Amino acid sequence: MSRLEIRSEVTGNVWKIEVSVGDHVDAEDVLLILESMKMEIPVEVPSGGTLTEFLVAEGDAVEEDQVVAIIEVDT
Amino acid sequence: MNMSVRFKIMIVLLPSLLVGYVYTPLQPGITMKAAVLHEHNTPLEIEEVQVSKPGPREVLVRPVAAGVCHSDLHFLDGSYPHMLPTILGHESAGIVEEVGSDVTYVSKGDHVITCLSAFCGHCDKCLTGHLALCQSPEVSREADQEPRLHQNSQPIHQFLNLSSFAELMLIHEHALVKIREDMPMDRAALIGCSTTTGVGAVFHTAKVEPGSKVAVIGCGGVGLAAINGAAIAGAGQIIAVDMVDSKLEIAKALGATHTVNASSGNAVGEVIEMTKGGCDYTFEAIGMKTTAEQSFQMLGSGGTATVIGMIPVGTMVELHGVDFLAEKKIQGSNMGSNRFRIDMPRFIEFYLSGKLHLDEMISKHIKLEEVNDALEALKSGQEARHVIMFDS
Repeated sequence: MSRLEIRSEVTGNVWKIEVSVGDHVDAEDVLLILESMKMEIPVEVPSGGTLTEFLVAEGDAVEEDQVVAIIEVDT
Repeated sequence: MNMSVRFKIMIVLLPSLLVGYVYTPLQPGITMKAAVLHEHNTPLEIEEVQVSKPGPREVLVRPVAAGVCHSDLHFLDGSYPHMLPTILGHESAGIVEEVGSDVTYVSKGDHVITCLSAFCGHCDKCLTGHLALCQSPEVSREADQEPRLHQNSQPIHQFLNLSSFAELMLIHEHALVKIREDMPMDRAALIGCSTTTGVGAVFHTAKVEPGSKVAVIGCGGVGLAAINGAAIAGAGQIIAVDMVDSKLEIAKALGATHTVNASSGNAVGEVIEMTKGGCDYTFEAIGMKTTAEQSFQMLGSGGTATVIGMIPVGTMVELHGVDFLAEKKIQGSNMGSNRFRIDMPRFIEFYLSGKLHLDEMISKHIKLEEVNDALEALKSGQEARHVIMFDS
């Protein structure tokens, strides 16, 4: 399995985390929802895998290109 | 992105996702009709949606009119990401139906304009006068609270804290401004976004000086408002740039002194020639890399380009570095850097005194059921603006 960093495309605040460490996620699943300039912006996973680490919590500020989570990609 | 697949996955995963939603069982709420976006690039569906009861600092508004704005298209086609399902629409005026227990600013029956620039009133941005940049989450409901909008016990994600393509809007008390009752509601609705964004960019973001040379790229609702704003601000030369002649004609009626049809392919050269060396202020009101770069290229020494349009996420803008030696500047503008509770009543006075031209901005009045036709018309770029009128 390979390690994949999930990054935020925009600056914002983490409003809601949708999955937990250890969960299996499929491509395009929503990991978390950011609030940015009044928008609810989903951060999705590009490919399926297992969520191994969350680097942010609800309420945290996130910068553009910041790594928010790590997944181990399915082989 | 295959949204169909994603939607199906979401349905399959709903039981597990619901673990995350720990709000108390949904209250019955009020059932209303709304235009729901379930998947990107699909028509909005007119469906029954439930709206929650107002919380302590919330206001239930019955919209009378809602503008169909080009920004809605960005979210419809997914060029700006947003959680789905949602109810688009963010430019409206209406009447207060019910207020929460702590609301004192408005009461039932008041006429209001809604605004997406909901402000908390006590963060650094608010306290330094930059209310439009407030990022406080407290104007939304918290993740573990019952959502403001729901359908069949599933949340509907409120769009920009408003969602105005609906018969009712439940919003924070800091997302509206009280207005005089003799203001026509369809005109008032436009002030809720396009007018405030365009005129505000001229007044507040760029601070256009009387007598200066201005170019506005894009003559949709926001660009036309910027042209009108430049005229009110006393700009000496106002050049409207678009590829549709009918829009350039409207621009002249709103104050443009010159027009450039960009389909000629040399809009930058024509503007520089007309201004004898470039503009003092330019405004980009489309949201494209090319036109953002052109707004900078049209500047004269010391000029300022203001990008109002929503450039898709991930798009990079390239500038010729040597131009900075000529003190050329480029900046963004969000919702016209507004202080909307001050600005919007002033814009109403401008309209009623004949300075702000809103009548020309409305091309058609429609019903909620016709919203998809209005969005299609926006894509064509041929018409100014459709305004939804709700049954009273």
